[in-house]
Amino acid sequence: MTALAVVPVVLATLLIGARGVAALRSTSDFLVASRRVSPTLNAAAVSGEYLSAASFLGTAGLVVKNGVGALWYPVGFTAGYLLMLVLVAAPMRRTGALTVPDFAEARLGSPGLRRFSAVVVLVIAGLYLVPQFTAAGQVLTLVSGTPHWVGIVVAGAAVSITLALGGMRAATYVQAFQFVLKLLLFIVPAIWLLVAAGADTRAEAVRPAEYAAFPRPTEVTFRLDTRLQVREPVTVLADGVPVRLEPGEHVAPGDATWVFPEGAAVPEIAGAALPGSGTWQRPLLDGGNWHPLLATWSVLVATALGTMGLPHVIVRFHTSPDGRAARRTAAITVGLLGSFYVFTVVYGLLGGVLVPELYLSGATDTAVVALPSRVDGGTTGDVFTALLTAGAFAAFLATSLGLLLALAGALAHDLLPGSLRRLRLTALLAAGVIVLLALPAARIDVGAVVTSAFAVAASTFCPMLVLGIWWRGLTARGAFVGMAVGLASSAGVMALGLVAQPGPGLVALLLGQPALFSVPLAFLTMVAVSRRDRPLPGAEAAMLRLHLDERT
Amino acid sequence: MSRQRRVAVTSPQTRVALAARRGVSAVPRSLTGEELRVAARIRRGQLRVAAGTLAAAALLLVGLPVLLGAVPVALRVGPFPVVWIAVALLPYPVLAVLAHWQLRRAERTEDGTEQAGRDLPDRAR
Repeated sequence: MTALAVVPVVLATLLIGARGVAALRSTSDFLVASRRVSPTLNAAAVSGEYLSAASFLGTAGLVVKNGVGALWYPVGFTAGYLLMLVLVAAPMRRTGALTVPDFAEARLGSPGLRRFSAVVVLVIAGLYLVPQFTAAGQVLTLVSGTPHWVGIVVAGAAVSITLALGGMRAATYVQAFQFVLKLLLFIVPAIWLLVAAGADTRAEAVRPAEYAAFPRPTEVTFRLDTRLQVREPVTVLADGVPVRLEPGEHVAPGDATWVFPEGAAVPEIAGAALPGSGTWQRPLLDGGNWHPLLATWSVLVATALGTMGLPHVIVRFHTSPDGRAARRTAAITVGLLGSFYVFTVVYGLLGGVLVPELYLSGATDTAVVALPSRVDGGTTGDVFTALLTAGAFAAFLATSLGLLLALAGALAHDLLPGSLRRLRLTALLAAGVIVLLALPAARIDVGAVVTSAFAVAASTFCPMLVLGIWWRGLTARGAFVGMAVGLASSAGVMALGLVAQPGPGLVALLLGQPALFSVPLAFLTMVAVSRRDRPLPGAEAAMLRLHLDERT
Repeated sequence: MSRQRRVAVTSPQTRVALAARRGVSAVPRSLTGEELRVAARIRRGQLRVAAGTLAAAALLLVGLPVLLGAVPVALRVGPFPVVWIAVALLPYPVLAVLAHWQLRRAERTEDGTEQAGRDLPDRAR
């Protein structure tokens, strides 16, 4: 029943998308809506595009899993637009480039660098898109019991049809509409949850007790193979069969359903903090590991600097008529995002009190959608579950639209330049490939994969954009080597971490959250390599004109 | 010169290709010496403005976690731990104020170099 809530969202997306069709005539129309969008509309569209499943579901889920420190994620997401406003918004718009690879060629005059940038776009967009589609499947599975693939296919179909019909022009209206929708669907249920939860739950949420023992018989369906540290002997019903667990490490297989008896001690999971415990309550990240400050800074560096390097965000600034409008768009976006993210704490804290068992199952990404039924078992609870499901689905749609556009742009505009028809086809094909990739990826952690996309963007595009705009000495070779080093030390190092699986500690922290060293490394490499070259003769003028008001 | 007219957009790729064929630099329209001096002055001014905002942002993003690591969770304002308010609510208005401040100063830096007598399009202020 609740799954039907996604129908109006998909229909509205298609209807608003259809509105843009008449205006669509050329490739530049498709990509940047012929640049006539006002700062406020564009800021709403930027926010609508940016508020993905990671924001709507993932952050509150991370609070349940890792503690209050996870609230630094949305701070970094918002700060990213401040840095964009300061460093890139107006000059980037003035390059006239349609995409980040366009910028690379326009500023540094190297077609090779353009193609390499397009490859980086593919990496970032892929890392960002697959978890969006996976999350769509997860939420639909939770609320309706439909198979995982239904949600993924529905999301993929809605997104690619809208893109193929209307392109960016449609996407601008769709994204702006979806920002308003998501804001309402996030704030209204939050207020209702606070009121309906009652004084006791509210008091508990701000003074949480450690989730030390199961308050009632608790059923846990593990999403992944999970290593549990059992503290006291306990008999669980493992898929209906009683199994006695002695203290020590036990592995619960993925998809298994275990029922823990009332009063049993809650097992611990390495690298996560028991909801309500002292480390959970501490406002720094990575409760289980040492060096919580390093972990917090690393996430902040990745999210704040990664935002300006996200290809789908950058392309949206080109729908502003000029540099000034682009700058205003960034400034308004900081305010719009803040008004959304201040409500994350409501879901996170209530989730820690009402659905702490998600910490065991690993399905913390569903915490937001699971909350209403815990507060109200009747129709009202169902209605709010449906509203939050619709909001979450709007989040997948909006972000996926922008990402597919960037992906299609990189393929059809930069790697294999072609016609509008080819660009549309590319968007459709890209959506199909992502759906195929998302189907077997049911088990990835949505928040973690999205953050890795930020780390890659922060280590590659961020240094190229910042140095390209502010330093005349940047050369094509410097940018190329710097981006290659940044890509290897972010994506490469994270892949190494996945393969090596080091135990908790500094090594695991550096492999899992490499931004703290990969971003400075990329900057330093770019500067060092560029200094050995001579900049192109026109480099200084090419850089300076980006700082001149184009209406002069 | 209405803003509402559809505008033709040339990809820099095309511009670069055409410029390269003529054997000149990729810059679409060469700036005059005077324009270059103005642009250099604006860039220096914008760098100063940016440095201020970046310092404030760094103080928030680097400094606040250090501070919050040191303050005990037990310290409360009413029922709420101070450190929770500081991470969950405080950063957003601070970021919005910084954004407003940066926008105003960046636009003024740009305007300060505008020639007298040029009619300015409508401004927010």
